[in-house]
Amino acid sequence: METLQLLGDGFAGAFTLTNLMWVLIGCVLGTAVGVMPGLGSSMAVALLLPVTFALDPTAAFIMFSGVYFGGLFGDSTMGILMNTPGQASAIASTFEGHKMALDGRAAKALATAAIGAFIGGTVASVGVVFLAPVLADFSTQFGPTEFFALAVFAFAATSTVVTDDTVKGLASLFVGLGIAVIGIDGVSGAPRFTLGSPYLFDGISLVTVTVAILALGEVIYVACLERHVTGGPIVRPKGRPWLSKSELREAAPAWARGTAIGLPFGVVPAGGSEIPTFLAYGLEKRLDARRKDPQFGTGAIRGLAAPEAAGNSTTGMAMGALLSLGLPISATAAIMLAAFQQYGLQPGPLLFDRSPDLVWSLLASFFIAMVVLLILNLPFAMLWAKLLLIPRPYLYAGITVFCAMGIYASSGSVFDLAVLLGVGIVGFLMRALDFPLAPLIIGMVLGPLAETSLRDAAMSANGDFAVLVQSPIAIGLYGVLVIVLGLSVVNRILARRRAVR
Amino acid sequence: MSFRDNATALSATMGKRLDLTRRALVKDLVMPAVLLAFAGYLAYGIVTMNVPEGTSFPGPGFFPGIIAAGLALFAVLLVVRAVRDARSTTGEKTASGESKRVGVDWRSLAWIVLGFAAFIALLKVLGWIIGAGLLFWAIARGFGERRHLMSLVVGLTISSLAYIAFDMLLGMSLPSGILGWGF
Repeated sequence: METLQLLGDGFAGAFTLTNLMWVLIGCVLGTAVGVMPGLGSSMAVALLLPVTFALDPTAAFIMFSGVYFGGLFGDSTMGILMNTPGQASAIASTFEGHKMALDGRAAKALATAAIGAFIGGTVASVGVVFLAPVLADFSTQFGPTEFFALAVFAFAATSTVVTDDTVKGLASLFVGLGIAVIGIDGVSGAPRFTLGSPYLFDGISLVTVTVAILALGEVIYVACLERHVTGGPIVRPKGRPWLSKSELREAAPAWARGTAIGLPFGVVPAGGSEIPTFLAYGLEKRLDARRKDPQFGTGAIRGLAAPEAAGNSTTGMAMGALLSLGLPISATAAIMLAAFQQYGLQPGPLLFDRSPDLVWSLLASFFIAMVVLLILNLPFAMLWAKLLLIPRPYLYAGITVFCAMGIYASSGSVFDLAVLLGVGIVGFLMRALDFPLAPLIIGMVLGPLAETSLRDAAMSANGDFAVLVQSPIAIGLYGVLVIVLGLSVVNRILARRRAVR
Repeated sequence: MSFRDNATALSATMGKRLDLTRRALVKDLVMPAVLLAFAGYLAYGIVTMNVPEGTSFPGPGFFPGIIAAGLALFAVLLVVRAVRDARSTTGEKTASGESKRVGVDWRSLAWIVLGFAAFIALLKVLGWIIGAGLLFWAIARGFGERRHLMSLVVGLTISSLAYIAFDMLLGMSLPSGILGWGF
């Protein structure tokens, strides 16, 4: 009951005219960026992060929740209409979604995706409201060894389980870890890897790296490689976006199943919503094959509804893990973490005690954002699709100008622009050579946490590393990790055998 | 400088003229080189680091040491794999998928990277409006836009609007440069 009381206060805080305006602006901007080709929700957050620095924390985070979920609503539009998903979590929705569009049901596909995203996101937000305080309480038992175990878990999961190529994934992770150690060492105060330059004393900002890797690198990649490989033509959305009763009955169980699959993945540090979207898609496909009239392959509404709901419920829950544990599950959550740190707030158990106003307003604004996004996306999905008609040169030139502005404005120094370009080129190389980018971001975000907790743990035990495996929670985490790694190895061997056959 | 009508023509054919396997090997060695360079930078930093007196183990160089070692290890693994791949494919020409593969469009790369570098160098002098307008033009050009006047006008419009919205209204500081006497 206390939770509801707090949430009510949060709503009271969020329901001011200015805050509603920020939610609306965030939703519009997030959807717009999410819809654009090659730009997913993580990019929406990264690009808009510097812009929010001018606002006070509560307004900024309320706007952010709009951007965060808006990017997700927009993600699948591109995949449905052009068969080119905006980011990895939208791939599973693309299979049946694009077939629906080809079949003349583009508007209905967009509506199915929007409702799915709404249901997944709303249920997850409810989950966050009730689970986050519990998780936060639980995590007060966490010390350095537990946090180190969590970080190792996230590292291993994002760089090996989620990616196809373990060596490339680990290399990417270590580049991120390496970037994170630049700057003054927090424990001893020694300047590290700065070459004596004061510009590097504060280290390289996560925002700069994220924008460089996800935005500028992507711009270079599209210019030099991708635009020469022509994608499919855009399907002009036709028809009414309203679903008929039979279609709703068809999609409803899929939305529910997708949401249920997605929820647990929001608190597991396993690299975001790619896995649950594919699991949800696979489940629907198997269920469909048992029916008398299988519809998969011809634009099955359930093949779109389930992954869409799964993706958003994972992302919604990821906010819970972020707020209560301070642990970012996906690249998008990692940037949200950077946003908190920019305001001097450290997500984690203490956040609920220290700034309850902000947390509960933020949680309340999730619900507001969901409703606003549904309104923005259901009737106007076709308007958003018009964004895809912006000529590519102008679109990407605009993105580049926006990146430059954000980075310059947040740091006020030309040096950060140079870092942006340098890291952007590395990002381009990695993208072009099939190196996964998510591990780099996760490494950069959790690197400092991993290092400090490793050193704190070892120092308190006089340099004895055995302390790392002496707490039951840490042992449990490593145990789960070993099982997950084992399963993924078995999976891979099975897949290889199937491929040989 | 002469301009081609079709931006894709050269890059699409260039790849086929070069020896495919050698090209693939060079391509596979790019990232290991980057990783090794970064590992070297970290190693150099660890060796020259001024560790304050009385820092107990594990000190500031400990974690970076692990990272540098890891980077070097993964670089070596990638090199070994690249060389092995190149050897195994020298005899048999893999025809599958080659038709769709496209080489890097160096001209686009140059326009974007050099354009951005020039933007960085000149931002303080030119100011945000002119600098960002030119950046927009250069990037659009890297994407094969030929209507130069048009893209310059669009670019200057966007940079001006951004200046008004973010500098004047939201209070972010963007340099005014040569347009900014008296501000």
